[in-house]
Amino acid sequence: MSPVTALIADDEEAPRGQLRAALAQAWPDLRIVAEAVNGVDAWDAFLEHEPQVCFLDIRMPGLTGIDVARRIDGQAQVVFVTAYGDHALAAFDAGAVDYVLKPVDSVRLGQAVQRVQTRLAQARGPGEPAAADLAALLSRLAGEMSAGQRRSTTLEVIQAGVGKEVRLIRVDEVVYFESDARYTRVVHDGGEALIRTPLKELLAQLDPQRFWQVHRSVIVAHRHVATAVRVDEGNMHLTLRGRPEKLPVSRHFQGLFKGQ
Amino acid sequence: MTPGATSRQREPIDWSQLWAPGPRRVFTAEELARAGGDAPSRTLVVMVAINLALLVFPVLQAVPPEALPRVSALVIGVAVAAFTQALRLWRRPSRKALLLHSWFGLLAYWAFVFALRWRVDDPVQRRWVLGVGGAALVLCMVGFWFVTVYRAHQIEARLRELDERQRVADMARQLAAAQIQPHFLFNSLAALEHWVQAKDDRAAPMLSALTGFLRATLPLFDRRLLRLGDEAKAAERYLEVMRLRLGPRLRFSVELAPDAAEAMLPPGVLLTLVENAVEHGIVPQVSGGEVVVRSWMDDKEMTLEVSDTGQGPPDEVAEGTGLSNTRARLQQAFGTRARLHLCGTPEGGCVARLTIAPADGSAMKG
Repeated sequence: MSPVTALIADDEEAPRGQLRAALAQAWPDLRIVAEAVNGVDAWDAFLEHEPQVCFLDIRMPGLTGIDVARRIDGQAQVVFVTAYGDHALAAFDAGAVDYVLKPVDSVRLGQAVQRVQTRLAQARGPGEPAAADLAALLSRLAGEMSAGQRRSTTLEVIQAGVGKEVRLIRVDEVVYFESDARYTRVVHDGGEALIRTPLKELLAQLDPQRFWQVHRSVIVAHRHVATAVRVDEGNMHLTLRGRPEKLPVSRHFQGLFKGQ
Repeated sequence: MTPGATSRQREPIDWSQLWAPGPRRVFTAEELARAGGDAPSRTLVVMVAINLALLVFPVLQAVPPEALPRVSALVIGVAVAAFTQALRLWRRPSRKALLLHSWFGLLAYWAFVFALRWRVDDPVQRRWVLGVGGAALVLCMVGFWFVTVYRAHQIEARLRELDERQRVADMARQLAAAQIQPHFLFNSLAALEHWVQAKDDRAAPMLSALTGFLRATLPLFDRRLLRLGDEAKAAERYLEVMRLRLGPRLRFSVELAPDAAEAMLPPGVLLTLVENAVEHGIVPQVSGGEVVVRSWMDDKEMTLEVSDTGQGPPDEVAEGTGLSNTRARLQQAFGTRARLHLCGTPEGGCVARLTIAPADGSAMKG
């Protein structure tokens, strides 16, 4: 049996190191495939490596741990790592959420690890979407956290350098974004452009009501989507209104298009 | 100190006091339990009894002997009834109860008058009993009115005092909670623990910065005012701890003019502003940023600025408890001389600017 894979995300280096050391004791077989320093990276690393367990700090820049857990949507076991005094703890104690406190205590971590192992043994094949009550709890917490934050930065205009000019592209006009090596390709009503902002950072600034991520490297404005076509087991693509391109939908996002 | 100055408008006359005198405030059961659970003091009871005796004694001297039994019985009966009723008013002083008691007293007197016509034939006795009864009625009504009004005032004052005490305690507790944020403390200890275990060189500076922070923060709670320079030391230790934890994501500088460092401020003001700048300006940024603390004197006016290079101030003014507590304590210490203003910087960050005008107003001229 291949070892269980894990992701660790914390914006501070010390707690990441501590958790890594504590996990080496509590779960020697665990293979940590990625470490992320903020929520945006954590989400991207999740899509890239598809780890089975994610240890997420709650307060992270870009996306909070709660936001990342909502996106993971039950596709991996999530254990929150947080400091004493976090107001989310009150909600966690009531619900079925796994968490460990910083500084990580080996006994408490051992218990969390055991629960995760039990659940991994029960789940066969790809995990089912998160239980409805857990999803509701996370969405409520996400709302509370964003209410306490400063201005929510929803991107309205994208600046793209094309030759000697800088073109301003309204986000409303964008059809899709695609990451392309070191650049992000912006395809819009009036053509296309390349920008330097990585796709994963754009994602945190886009209105999730209008833009859907459908692949690690593709974000699409859903009003331009015409059909979702299942090619075979595990493969799906989108066709667009009035455009010839076909966009891939990776496995994690296929749940977005399930028909009524 | 009550918030909101007394209004300049003349208070309208409450004509309803003419036919229904009494306190206007209606206490809830909870308020009465909080501030009105006590019995009248023994001194008060004894004084009332002595006064009553002094008043009744000469009257009884003047009563003709044949009327004495009836008048004495009347006086004792009225005294006992009045005392019981007065105690009830003491426990629940309200305008409605006072009104009911007055009407009840009047009705009792009328019933008494009619009963007298039927039962007592002797005109001398009748006159005395009627007269003493009438005097007792007036006395009771005045007494009831006095008890109700006095007691209502007493409870109101006590409630006000309790509220004020509660508010001061709340503010102190919030300051304590704001300064020793468990989240900050435990995250810092977590880092420290890891660095100690991993034999990382950052453990020693972390421990000394954290110790310095705690040493400088603990005296905050029992002072009314603190030298800005002293609090700046605590703030610097805090920033050092955060820089060790966040690494290159946090840069900071603290610059106080020597005369500004002598300014006295309510404790915790600078720390709250610095913590806000780090928590809301730097930590949410993937790439971090810079916090700059500056203070200077300008024509006796003190200015303290804490700026960050974060996302800018919140759109709507939804201030956390830390900031509103700071405002309240500044207002308590300086009144309108202190102004605390949060605004965006041209570079897109946020700056909190506190100015304190001199007491004599000499800086107001220009």
